[in-house]
Amino acid sequence: MKEKVRIFLETDLLEKYLLGNTSSEETARVERYIAMYPEVRKTYRELEENLEAFAKLYSRKTPEGLRERIFSSIQSQRSGRRRFIRYAIAASIAALFFAGSSYFFWNQNQSLQQENAIVNNKIRVLEADMKQQLEDVRNQFIVLNNPQTRKYLVNGNQKARDLKAIAYVNPVKKLSYINVRNLPQLPENQCYQMWAEVNGEMVNLGVLKDLDDRDRLLALPYGEKAMSYITIEPEGGNTAPTVKNIVANLKY
Amino acid sequence: MSTLLEKHIVELLHEGNDKAISLLYEHYGDTLYGVAHKVVRNEEIAQDVLQESFVKIWNKSHTYDPSKAKLFTWLFRITRNTAIDKIRSLSNKSEKEIQIDVSDVYNVGKELDKIEAKYRIVLEALFFEGMTQQEASDELGIPLGTIKSRLKIGLRELRKIYGAASFLLFSLMHWL
Repeated sequence: MKEKVRIFLETDLLEKYLLGNTSSEETARVERYIAMYPEVRKTYRELEENLEAFAKLYSRKTPEGLRERIFSSIQSQRSGRRRFIRYAIAASIAALFFAGSSYFFWNQNQSLQQENAIVNNKIRVLEADMKQQLEDVRNQFIVLNNPQTRKYLVNGNQKARDLKAIAYVNPVKKLSYINVRNLPQLPENQCYQMWAEVNGEMVNLGVLKDLDDRDRLLALPYGEKAMSYITIEPEGGNTAPTVKNIVANLKY
Repeated sequence: MSTLLEKHIVELLHEGNDKAISLLYEHYGDTLYGVAHKVVRNEEIAQDVLQESFVKIWNKSHTYDPSKAKLFTWLFRITRNTAIDKIRSLSNKSEKEIQIDVSDVYNVGKELDKIEAKYRIVLEALFFEGMTQQEASDELGIPLGTIKSRLKIGLRELRKIYGAASFLLFSLMHWL
């Protein structure tokens, strides 16, 4: 017998292990010895047999009714456990359902909030737009109906002979509008752009697009001794008017 | 070595079949009850201990590993530990309330008489009372070397008693 096996068997580790009194390190050691050394394994098996034999010496007849008591307590444990498992399954399903529906509603709420913000924004823009248009229409109405409004016919020079426009200026209300009736065709890389020189400052009034609505009135900034120009500029418009390309002008 | 009956019970236990409890009670009930009684020394408490032990056996059945211990060893551990815990919890509550039943002194079987008291005391201290050899030495006032030798002799005496019976059992199993 190996020395270390003999020393191991001298200790009471095997007895402690038999009774379940070893620490986890001791348990690992004992199980390693049992697996590795047949002498230890044999001793352990003998100890197990001896324990059973010794315990049997103390056998006592179990009293009447104890068997039933034990069975009913195990049965109640079983039904309790089954009930618990059933409740646990039901609770898990319910929890999953609530989690799923909560996520669904949260998600829906988020998209509705986003949609709501977009709609509100659109309403605000539309409102502002509408106010501006209404104000514009009101001013147009004032200008066109007011007897103090002066009407100017604007013709194009030799660069754009067919250019025709009518300007309405009301010095009392300080409002001025222009209605461009006709614009001669330009090459694709050029466009007409409108300007106004008011109080010594050049204002860009934007590019004149194709005249879809010939009755449309464009607001002109009002000023004492103001000048308005229409120039030919590269496509997309320019930042300052090209003087040599002036095709029409209007003093008002 | 595990018998066919043991294997059958273990299979039923692992399947969660309550027939296992019935078979366990039938084959080990008296011994385990004796163990519980030996530790708590009271009929009623021993019954409670056996009941609690069987519930634990049922609940822990999936943890039993036949490669590590015989079925009886596992059952014994559970019952003995439950009995020791019971004694501790009751003595914490009130020592006076526990009625110690000393009648078991007279209930000792004939076979137990075959083991001399000095060996039996050592075996009881180690197996039932959960003492280490050192603790048994201190408690009984016997040198550690003597404890070790008495344990060896006590176990040898046990084998003498059960040797013949085991031989008969193995022969029967072999014949079957």
